[in-house]
Amino acid sequence: MKKISLKRPSEPEIPTASTADIAFLLIIFFMLTTVFRTERGLKINLPGAEATERILKRRNVAHIWLDRAGKISIDDNLLDLKGVTSVMAGKFADNPDLIAEVRADRDSEYGKVNDILEALKDAGVLKITFATEFERRGG
Amino acid sequence: MEFKEKIKRKPAIPTASMGDIAFLIIIFFMTTSIFSREKGLKTVLPEKGQEVKIKSENILTIQVNPRGEVLIGDKILTIPEVRAKVAEELLKNKELVIALRVARTAPYRTMIDVFDELKMAKAERISLMPVKEE
Repeated sequence: MKKISLKRPSEPEIPTASTADIAFLLIIFFMLTTVFRTERGLKINLPGAEATERILKRRNVAHIWLDRAGKISIDDNLLDLKGVTSVMAGKFADNPDLIAEVRADRDSEYGKVNDILEALKDAGVLKITFATEFERRGG
Repeated sequence: MEFKEKIKRKPAIPTASMGDIAFLIIIFFMTTSIFSREKGLKTVLPEKGQEVKIKSENILTIQVNPRGEVLIGDKILTIPEVRAKVAEELLKNKELVIALRVARTAPYRTMIDVFDELKMAKAERISLMPVKEE
């Protein structure tokens, strides 16, 4: 009789020992894919393009924001064209593989973009990307 | 009997809260991470003072005027026509350099549309002509 009473009915349980393993796996994934949000940028609508490519080396990318009013921002600082040249020259000295990503509003004037390109040439930054959204068009 | 049972119990580290801690860190990384937003149209600018002279027969000039119309020569083309035209010219001449001359007041959107068509037409040599301040 006593032996039977020792066998307590085991409570139903969900095994939780492995949830931590699963969670840590996800953490590692997020840690590897994360680039910390360093800037807020300006409010823009990117133009669409079908030939949009991914940039693989994300750590080499520096953003230059241009909104439709013609404001230019790098790292959340509003700059003029001379400022763009000096800031980008500094970034280029730190990282010669720098890629400048021009994030310009689709309704901005091309002249402003042209000025930024000239400022980048002065800074010696020659690898450029025009930020676009992928867009499929007919044909 | 009761005494014996107490000895049998194995020492254990409580792991129930491990998952909670881990998920907390996950949420932190999820909110701070950006998924590869970096995409666009790649190009390389010429170095200052390194302008190369190109024979005029190897240049195809595409113009975008302030109204956002695309012109090759004197002809106004629609955006999809640009791709076919450029592909055709590239077949005729492999050395072809495409010069894109965009007016200062032309919309950026049109410039990107044309640039996109050039990329889709597999044009390798694209030159963005600088436009002077007015």
